[in-house]
Amino acid sequence: MTAVTEDTKDAATELPRLLPPPENKRAHDWPAHADRHGRLPYRERPGTLIRDIEAAGLTGRGGAAFPVHRKLQAVLDAADKRRRTPTVIANGAESEPASDKDATLLWLSPHLVLDGLQLAAEAVGADTAILYTHVSREHDVGGRLREALQARQAAGADRVPVQLAQAPARFLSGQETALVNHLSGGPAIPTFMPPRITERGLRGVPTLVQNAETLAHLALIARKGPRWFRSVGTDAEPGSMLATIRRADGRPRISEIPLGIPLKDLTGEVSPDSAVLIGGYHGTWLSGGEARALTLDNRSLARAQARVGAGIVITLPPDRCGLVETARVVRYLALESAGQCGPCLNGLPRIAAALAEIAGGRARPQAVADVERWSGLVTGRGACHHPDGTTRFVRSALRTFAAEVDRHQRGRCSATATRPFLPVPEAAAHTEQDWI
Amino acid sequence: MSGINSSTALWYTSRATGVVALLLLTAVMLLGLLVTRQGRLPGLPRFAVSGLHRNLSLLATAFVAVHVLSAVTDGYVNIPITATVIPLTSTYERLWLGLGAVSFDLMLAAVVTSLLRGHLSRKAWRAVHLTAYVSWPVAWVHSVFSSGDLQHGPLLYLAIVCALAVIAAAIWRVSAAGRDVPRAERVSLLMSAVHSKAQRHPPGGARRGERTLSQ
Repeated sequence: MTAVTEDTKDAATELPRLLPPPENKRAHDWPAHADRHGRLPYRERPGTLIRDIEAAGLTGRGGAAFPVHRKLQAVLDAADKRRRTPTVIANGAESEPASDKDATLLWLSPHLVLDGLQLAAEAVGADTAILYTHVSREHDVGGRLREALQARQAAGADRVPVQLAQAPARFLSGQETALVNHLSGGPAIPTFMPPRITERGLRGVPTLVQNAETLAHLALIARKGPRWFRSVGTDAEPGSMLATIRRADGRPRISEIPLGIPLKDLTGEVSPDSAVLIGGYHGTWLSGGEARALTLDNRSLARAQARVGAGIVITLPPDRCGLVETARVVRYLALESAGQCGPCLNGLPRIAAALAEIAGGRARPQAVADVERWSGLVTGRGACHHPDGTTRFVRSALRTFAAEVDRHQRGRCSATATRPFLPVPEAAAHTEQDWI
Repeated sequence: MSGINSSTALWYTSRATGVVALLLLTAVMLLGLLVTRQGRLPGLPRFAVSGLHRNLSLLATAFVAVHVLSAVTDGYVNIPITATVIPLTSTYERLWLGLGAVSFDLMLAAVVTSLLRGHLSRKAWRAVHLTAYVSWPVAWVHSVFSSGDLQHGPLLYLAIVCALAVIAAAIWRVSAAGRDVPRAERVSLLMSAVHSKAQRHPPGGARRGERTLSQ
């Protein structure tokens, strides 16, 4: 069971907001939810909630941190212009293997996400809602969501019917266009934009896709207002977010933290020459020395070319090799290429092979230069950001583990443990069926 | 025999850049055909082929621009600037220059849509890009028939070699399409190909707190 930490629980800031108090074992039930949060504050008119969301400054919590009100407005405008009724999709397909926050949220607070889905549907005038999730690694999230929907139906809470859909176990299946592709009956592979899905998405109608956590925040802003939301976080990046934190024991801990929290509050004490991974497998390796001086918000992290992403903070234990870990993850990322854009399909396997060579020791002298060069060649060259995110991860590893690269060139490694640390799914795709 | 004055310099510039442009466009065409079928060039990673295709096409555009501008500026024959983009408006070599204009227009369309690719739908971009299959043959006919330069001697052989190379590549492309690996199987196939080549090394001696790497 994923541990939910209370480290950051603080009466003054009322965190956690999204996750229920851990002492209540039935907190995920409809009565408990209704008791804690009250009725759904429908606004009775499309569009009105959007102003509150704009004032709150809520951004997408799936990783891209795109302003939520702009997406809502784009869907509403497209619906007006094209006279089509939109669809809203809650994206709980947390494909990032190192993240566990959406699965935890859906398990512990399913009704908050479903509230957000209804309110977002009202805000853009949608008549269809879909909740898209991954097969959970440890819980029967699907079963709990079906129960939740039945309870809501009995209580007459929902105005728009909600369908459940399951994502294939692929890294890219949570990517917006891949998701729409999959829900249209195709493989979960990204498509080229434009058309933007906010204009022409599922079945050609304007489609709103929001991360599950984003919708939960939206449901609370609708009830408590933008000022309440902004009472934590920074001015530029207000609010709280769910973070997945892994320290030396490797167990994921989900913690709701205010944006702008010092990284050292999440990593604990780290030595300057240790390493911290921020933002997951499309994220950035930082040295412990860099990480200690930064806070978890995009303004601060930009100084180290890092981003908050979906809130993943992983401290590499001192007995593990960052190069070996990176090579293993990049091999996985290369295997998860959808195989449709040349630079990604051909580039990532080569980069992965060269990294495996470097991690294995006594690589060809030009192997590091090759990785740098190929990374430049594949960046910005895909239908989605898979090559860009992967090369960001690779380049940050070569930067952060530069001393280790030298050691490996001499046939040595500073790690004493060889057990894999970063979680990487075993099953790679071999047939079209694996993408459906 | 007169020496090179400003007019003959422009004339020679136009002819020379025209010939180089034909060679570059042929290379662009061959690389483009290679790219669509995941072809390889020795010593170059597969994904770099598309980069080369793009860069050579921009270079070819520059040569064509000089070719066109020098032909217009040169006063020996009168070619109105409009004739470079509107077909059949030149009195000099009306048909053959008209074909040049057609080819130039299609080329510009391909370049502009590729530069704006992020703002276009995949279908629209591809539809315009496919007109390269019209643009290149038209450019070839323009090259050979606009003037006598390419109708005899080594330049004629060069033009024929270009045509044969593109025809051969097009035939290869069509036949390779039949042997296409399904999308979902491509990645694992490539992964096993590149990883089987990874080298293996003897271990070295380790210091304290270090491990010797052996494979």
